Amino acid sequence: MTNRAMQEATFLILTALAGGSRHGYGIITDVEQISSGRVRLRAGTLYAALDRLRLDGLVSVDREEIVDNRLRRYYRLTPEGSRQLAAEAARVRSHATTALARLGLAPGAAP
Amino acid sequence: MSEAADLERRYRRWLRWYPRSFRDAHESEILAVLLAGAREGRRRPEPMECLDLVRAALSLRLRPRIPRSNRSARAAIGLMYLSAAAELATAIVVLATIDDIRSAIAARDPAYTAAQWRAELSGALHPLAVGAVVAAGLCLWLAWAGGRGHRWARAAFVLFTGLNVAHLIHGLIQGSAVYAEADLTAGLVLCLVQLAAVVLLLHAGPAGLG
Repeated sequence: MTNRAMQEATFLILTALAGGSRHGYGIITDVEQISSGRVRLRAGTLYAALDRLRLDGLVSVDREEIVDNRLRRYYRLTPEGSRQLAAEAARVRSHATTALARLGLAPGAAP
Repeated sequence: MSEAADLERRYRRWLRWYPRSFRDAHESEILAVLLAGAREGRRRPEPMECLDLVRAALSLRLRPRIPRSNRSARAAIGLMYLSAAAELATAIVVLATIDDIRSAIAARDPAYTAAQWRAELSGALHPLAVGAVVAAGLCLWLAWAGGRGHRWARAAFVLFTGLNVAHLIHGLIQGSAVYAEADLTAGLVLCLVQLAAVVLLLHAGPAGLG
């Protein structure tokens, strides 16, 4: 699989799904919460990303419900999605740790 | 009509930008998300929302539907698109080197007449340039169709590459391909790009593109 850095929206969607299966609007609100309100996905962006993630085997449909006569589809991470999210999180953490250390802002470093 | 119904009708209109198959599978849930995120009392979608829907719909229509893990197939589609650009470049090079071609022909055949040159222009060079532009369109179409998983597009591209290579070899044997160095280079680059795409298509295997 690709070694390229994951796009932020993709990372946040997978992170939202790492907390359990969610429907579209649930993903949007969770991503907004995870990013402290900085990222608010629009519906078009979300469903294009979900389509791509399903194609790549990182996300799958968990279940479907009918609420107020509308289809509500829940998505979940696949094992491959979990693996890739973990790898990306480790990569981001490693870079952040290095950056903080060089800025003298790492935990325990002198201010 | 109520505000909510009015808003839904307008959202549905924007969702028509999406491919039919995607709409059949997802329209209801996207609508639910759009309506859930809409402010109370709104009758019209926000412009940025519409832009986002159109952008996502075009992306779904144009992007190859090949998993990232299938690198050979994705690279092959990329090269098919590149070959469209190479076809266009070939047309431009042929038109830009017409004087060189005439000089090369005249140098080989001192008895070459203006009438013969006019016949060469209308019978061979102009059709070659126009054909290259048409071929660029064909490559774009085959790349798009191949990216959507249509196997016939792959077979057609292999056949098309074979014809292009045969045309170049014929030109080399006849000597017409070497009239202008730039034409020969453009033709060689085009054939190499297409052959690389064919190799990757074959490497991707029968399941690679659909």
